[in-house]
Amino acid sequence: MVGPTATLTPLSRADGSASYRCPSTGSNILGSVNAPVELPARRDALRPEDATVEVFVKPGTAPGGVGERYIENVIKNMLAKLILGREKGYARRGVVITLATIGGESVGRGDSYLTLLPALIHTALLALLSAAVPLSMTFSATVLAVNASGEITREPSEKEAAAATSLHALAFSSKGHLLLNESQGAFDFDTWEKVHARALAICHGTLTRTSDGDVAMAEDVDGQPLEGTVRETVEDKLHQDYAWKTDAP
Amino acid sequence: MSSPLILLPGDEVPSEYLPSTNSAPLRLGAGLRLLTQPSSNPSKPPSHVIAATQPGILSTDNRKNAASILSTPNRRYIPTPNDLVIAQIHHSSPDYFHCMVTPQAPHALLGQLSFEGATKKTRPMLKQGDLVYARVLSMGLGAGAEVELTCVNPATGRAEPGGLGPLTGGMVFDVSIGMAARLMRASSSSPEQQEAVAGLVVLEELGKKLEKTGGFEIAIGRNGKVWVDCANGGETAVKSTVAIGRCLSTIDEHDLNPTDQRKLVTRILREMKIES
Amino acid sequence: MAQAAASAAQSAAPSLSLPPSQFARLQPHAYLLAHLSPPPATNQPSIRANGRAPSQFRVTSANTGSLTHTNGSAVVRLGDTTAVCGVRAEILHTEDIASWSVSRSTESSSAPTNKRRKLTDPTTKPNERIDSKDEDDNESHIQDFNLLVPNLSLSTGCAPGFIPGAPPSTLAQSLSHQILTLLHSTRLVRAEDLRIWYQPPNLGPEDLECHNENEQMDVDASQEDEKNKEIKAFWVLYIDVMIVSLAGNPFDAAWAAVLAALRDTKLPRAWWDVDNEMVVCSDAVSEARKLTLRGLPVSSSFCVFEADAASGWRAVVIPDAEEEKELDDSARKGNQRRWILADPDGYEEGLTQERICVVVDKEQGGKGKTVIQKLEKVGGWTADAKELKALVDISAQRWEDVRRILNEQC
Repeated sequence: MVGPTATLTPLSRADGSASYRCPSTGSNILGSVNAPVELPARRDALRPEDATVEVFVKPGTAPGGVGERYIENVIKNMLAKLILGREKGYARRGVVITLATIGGESVGRGDSYLTLLPALIHTALLALLSAAVPLSMTFSATVLAVNASGEITREPSEKEAAAATSLHALAFSSKGHLLLNESQGAFDFDTWEKVHARALAICHGTLTRTSDGDVAMAEDVDGQPLEGTVRETVEDKLHQDYAWKTDAP
Repeated sequence: MSSPLILLPGDEVPSEYLPSTNSAPLRLGAGLRLLTQPSSNPSKPPSHVIAATQPGILSTDNRKNAASILSTPNRRYIPTPNDLVIAQIHHSSPDYFHCMVTPQAPHALLGQLSFEGATKKTRPMLKQGDLVYARVLSMGLGAGAEVELTCVNPATGRAEPGGLGPLTGGMVFDVSIGMAARLMRASSSSPEQQEAVAGLVVLEELGKKLEKTGGFEIAIGRNGKVWVDCANGGETAVKSTVAIGRCLSTIDEHDLNPTDQRKLVTRILREMKIES
Repeated sequence: MAQAAASAAQSAAPSLSLPPSQFARLQPHAYLLAHLSPPPATNQPSIRANGRAPSQFRVTSANTGSLTHTNGSAVVRLGDTTAVCGVRAEILHTEDIASWSVSRSTESSSAPTNKRRKLTDPTTKPNERIDSKDEDDNESHIQDFNLLVPNLSLSTGCAPGFIPGAPPSTLAQSLSHQILTLLHSTRLVRAEDLRIWYQPPNLGPEDLECHNENEQMDVDASQEDEKNKEIKAFWVLYIDVMIVSLAGNPFDAAWAAVLAALRDTKLPRAWWDVDNEMVVCSDAVSEARKLTLRGLPVSSSFCVFEADAASGWRAVVIPDAEEEKELDDSARKGNQRRWILADPDGYEEGLTQERICVVVDKEQGGKGKTVIQKLEKVGGWTADAKELKALVDISAQRWEDVRRILNEQC
């Protein structure tokens, strides 16, 4: 399967930006981060020693609605835990993340955002990295669909997602913690555990602890773990930026 | 430096990469922080690891026993003590000039008397929009504290390093802060070393080509600003200034290597009809 | 600092000169921590500042049908959080739906296959199964035509900080969205209940189209009627939720109110009057029918309280997930301790970041196995598979309680 592709710093005026494209779900997101910025008035008064994270999600064609407010909240809560808002220069300032859908299906009223969620948070992460916002960890995320016969599809297309009995979006930190889980549709816990294991394999490709025999069959199916994709994108960009330093005679 | 170590936030720095030459304390620069590893055994002292908070290339300095992360070059500038910056006066109050270091940050303070030889009577009368080349004195403590700038070394009363103070004439160009850091390193080393130190030959090249038209003055601020002036240039002064600015921002945008930098300088000077 | 205050509070409890309410305001984190970690000598169990055990929900009560001008209504109290929900049904004519003719043409093409399935195996499969299969094809009506319109508002003064005249807060907007997606994903309301049909009178065999004559003999009269039936209008349910008093956990309260109100909702009998070309409703109460809901999804929310007030930024090595799994809850000490609190109140919500929401249902009215309808977790990395499994079990117990409370009403 074709893995996602990402570009770091496509925008020159923002402090950090990233574009992310996931061919299987058809989503294409452009994100920018501005940090640290001054916040107007006294919005920072609640937690004076910490940075305020703001996330804006712009759907492709329509103005944002309640669905966007909800997903913004989810992304904000997840990122706020990872951004080191007390580092030098960040306290009482804002970290403003803007994510725009520039391709793929747009999400209608009352539709679930789950298929888009991994692409959104990957874009947010890459944009944060590009802006060099201090983070405690990185993460990777995926979305899985389970159909009526219990088959798990990785990063389903719009059609597959509509036919699925349950949809699961999961994000794992670079140390393997479950950072985010959004599941909807009818399923039981055993199904979820299978989904969890598969998602962990997709994001990390780890399964290092499994002793013998059954090691990581999923690894072959899923190709390179997403964690590696994120890392490679950043490494490529840094190699390019510091070519003057590293290629110097 | 054959294969640089690239770190992502949360990655621990392997101890073999850290300078270990002497017993002096290790200095951690931007992008790194010290983490304690809570030990399971309370009697043992907790161990420490150094982890990255920003993505970038680990850069170590054995002489100063320092380590830091070279992060992405177009991030936002965050003031750090002893950085040289180009600030713009926004307004003045009885004791301070309020200056803009980056447009998004709150104003930094520059004392009315923190100029070389300034007294109540002789202090410079700066107006809104004037430029100063200043050093970051302090970040202040705690959240929301103001950044303080100075144009004088408080210990000696001199403008150290040279050139601090109001910048008159000339023009300011914006570059990325990674580029500003490179220019700074290049300009502080001898012309022959510039290529090796920062991969930049543009200053040396421009210096050679513009020598006949009177040369130029340049001040580089870590906040991504470059001030250029060709005061002796006569009628080509403005042209040369703009040409220098164009050279710097094009190199910044396109990550040109030394050969291309030379070509660019020649091309721009020819396009702008500045004889060399 | 919070740590020091906590230990001070424990050791010097008698000489504490501040009344507890002031201490709670000044050092909220330390106050809750001191409650949850009683000195080991006393052998007391952990208890929250509000007197509940960590997995205990607040006293819940429901009252339905209190708003007489609505089709269905409910008031649900979850401790001090109160949600009022009213359901109002309005008629949407199909001719007013722009995309109606387009979607109907595709629907009619799929209709024959439907019918065939019904004819071939009416006996082998249980009735309910066919039902659900049949509905799957047309269930998209609810979502396509937005037949369910929930809206949640946090009323002025429901909690400090809600001032008059302010636009809907992001909290209210995201709660509205959560209710809507949950209504869609659980398919709680049946589309069939919302359809208003036109049944043309049977005009005898000469009026039937010719292809009908070729059809199988066992096509009975009702089947033919079915064929000529036409959807003329839909009921649109406007589900308005108002949080009258907000003391934490608004989603559970709002969802329970929506559920109770929908269970209470009665739609009048309505039909298409072909002479007047309008939908006519019967005003006989006896003819009104209740909605037949699919299951009873119950939502339970949790939050994770960490002993370390500075867990987000303290410069310590974050252990790997693998290492963390090895650590048993009992082995956690000091700063590493954490508690998962069910049904957090406003005070606790202010002290926690990680939120978990589980919506479960049980098959066959409680006798079957537990089905998870939604599992949401965000804002931290404490709760992993093991913790979530425990929470699903707690939610299953909660399901029983909520069902009992709701059944007392109806």
